Amino acid sequence: MKQILAILAITAASLWAGPQDIHFPASLDALAGKAEEVVDITLDADMLGFAGAFMSDQDRDEKTAKDLVKTLKGVYIRSYQFKEEGQYSPDDLDEVRSQLKKPEWVPVVNVRSKTGGDNAQIYFKKENGKISGITILAAEPTELTIVHIVGSIDPADVAKLGGNFGIPNMSMGPAEEDGEQ
Amino acid sequence: MSRFDDELREALKRVDPPDGFSERVLARVAEERAKPSLIERFRRALWAPRMRWAAVGALSLAILAGVQHQRAVEQRARGEQAKEQVLLALRITAEQIQTAERGVRKLNASW
Repeated sequence: MKQILAILAITAASLWAGPQDIHFPASLDALAGKAEEVVDITLDADMLGFAGAFMSDQDRDEKTAKDLVKTLKGVYIRSYQFKEEGQYSPDDLDEVRSQLKKPEWVPVVNVRSKTGGDNAQIYFKKENGKISGITILAAEPTELTIVHIVGSIDPADVAKLGGNFGIPNMSMGPAEEDGEQ
Repeated sequence: MSRFDDELREALKRVDPPDGFSERVLARVAEERAKPSLIERFRRALWAPRMRWAAVGALSLAILAGVQHQRAVEQRARGEQAKEQVLLALRITAEQIQTAERGVRKLNASW
């Protein structure tokens, strides 16, 4: 009987968990109370497909999004905008980071500011030589964002994200002199 | 007396109605009164089994069409909402990638 209950519990948990392979810790919910603005997006494959059906081929952003979501199984985002600095602790991301220590997760970008500026880490999940997920942890003094995308993504598709959605085109080439530096 | 007078008298002579005439008239009047009015006939026709089922069918179809229309409207609203969420999600992702790229450029520039 106990075995049956255990199997049922595992099945229920796996059904509830869905394709999301990085789980957001409950401590993030506490941040929502402190944040001035919260973005909480949970889109599974069904919802992505459903949303894709309503996207136009004529609009550039929608066309890009439509092509991208075809191969995705889930998009999960938590973003918190705070009024003041110090409203969250870097430890709030520890539970997420610990899940990214699994061998299939490869850190591709790790920007850490020693002066309290922007910190950003991008991880790719590699399976059979292909990227099957992306996780982005971005921490700014008054903003904390976690992006978790599940599904097969071509790096070229990631580059496509820049240049659309009103954002300048992304190029990971050599550093260029610009006004921000 | 003239011939005309005789003819007139003959024409205006009292003649008794045939036997049972008044009974037949009264029976006819009663029969006319017993006939249902136009409204009553319409009401009866409406409540005839065939008409009743036809009315129920038409009403059911109208309700079904209304429900379907409402569902389509709700489905469209949900789809538009999901689309906006996807676009917002990709916009946030693009912004975070840009932030990371800016960081990488700053690092490269400092080397």
